[in-house]
Amino acid sequence: MELRKTVRLSMLLALSIVLSLIESYIPIVGSIIPGVKLGLANAVIILVIYFYSFKDALFLSITRVLLLGIIRTGLFNIIFFFSLNGALFSIVTMYIAKRFTKLSIVGVSIIGSLSHSVGQIVIVIIFLNNLNIIFYLPYLLLFSIPTGIIVGLTAKEVLSLYQKLEIKSY
Amino acid sequence: MNKNDVRLVIFIFIMAISLILVTKIFDSNDPKTALIYYENELIKKIDLSIDKSNEYVIKGFNGDVIVKSKKNMIKVSDEISPLNICSKQGWISSSYEVIVCLPNKILIKIESNQNEFDAVVR
Repeated sequence: MELRKTVRLSMLLALSIVLSLIESYIPIVGSIIPGVKLGLANAVIILVIYFYSFKDALFLSITRVLLLGIIRTGLFNIIFFFSLNGALFSIVTMYIAKRFTKLSIVGVSIIGSLSHSVGQIVIVIIFLNNLNIIFYLPYLLLFSIPTGIIVGLTAKEVLSLYQKLEIKSY
Repeated sequence: MNKNDVRLVIFIFIMAISLILVTKIFDSNDPKTALIYYENELIKKIDLSIDKSNEYVIKGFNGDVIVKSKKNMIKVSDEISPLNICSKQGWISSSYEVIVCLPNKILIKIESNQNEFDAVVR
């Protein structure tokens, strides 16, 4: 039981890292507004929150940021804290939204992508000591609606398939 | 998607649009100055009221950052970073816009030369 879960979670972790890497090669989304991305890795995090638990999702999310830091950007620099804070903000708010509101999985995903932007803006304000960047926030909020819906619908489909698969394999 | 999701989407949409409108109101067409910061320190001031295009080279964390300016506009045209977000951003012209280049620790913002009193009258 425990081993099965560990293996599944590590495969999901690998999947989320690959999704982040693939996503950075999709040029369309980032060219509309710089810095905007789809956030497909968030679909994996949502899947883990819904199927396993918040604790597993938190662990997976932090490990993902650490590994992506090693692979792409380097550890413990500004960009690392930038993505770490975004990931932490989004996972905590998604858990709160799932637990205490009547939002469906799509709504939770929108909340997640929205708070990801908010977390990143907060870290920019702290590091650069400049409040001007906050004018960028409404555009990011606007773009978090379509990306959140796409990621949420993906997570919904995958979750129903994943549940069938898990039941079959016992 | 259920009813609550739709409500959430409408709420975010209205909030974002109204915030954008608010920032547009604060924009002005007065002469402007571009301020360039490196690690929170002001290193260069560029007067944008001159009707001429210029090119500046600034030392960033990863190497040289090339900044181009023309009347009331400024952009980063070349820099060394993993995603090149700030050079992709292109021209900025309003006083609420900023170019942030985290890998190079460079921040460029625009300030209008008018004082607060003028802003109230306008």
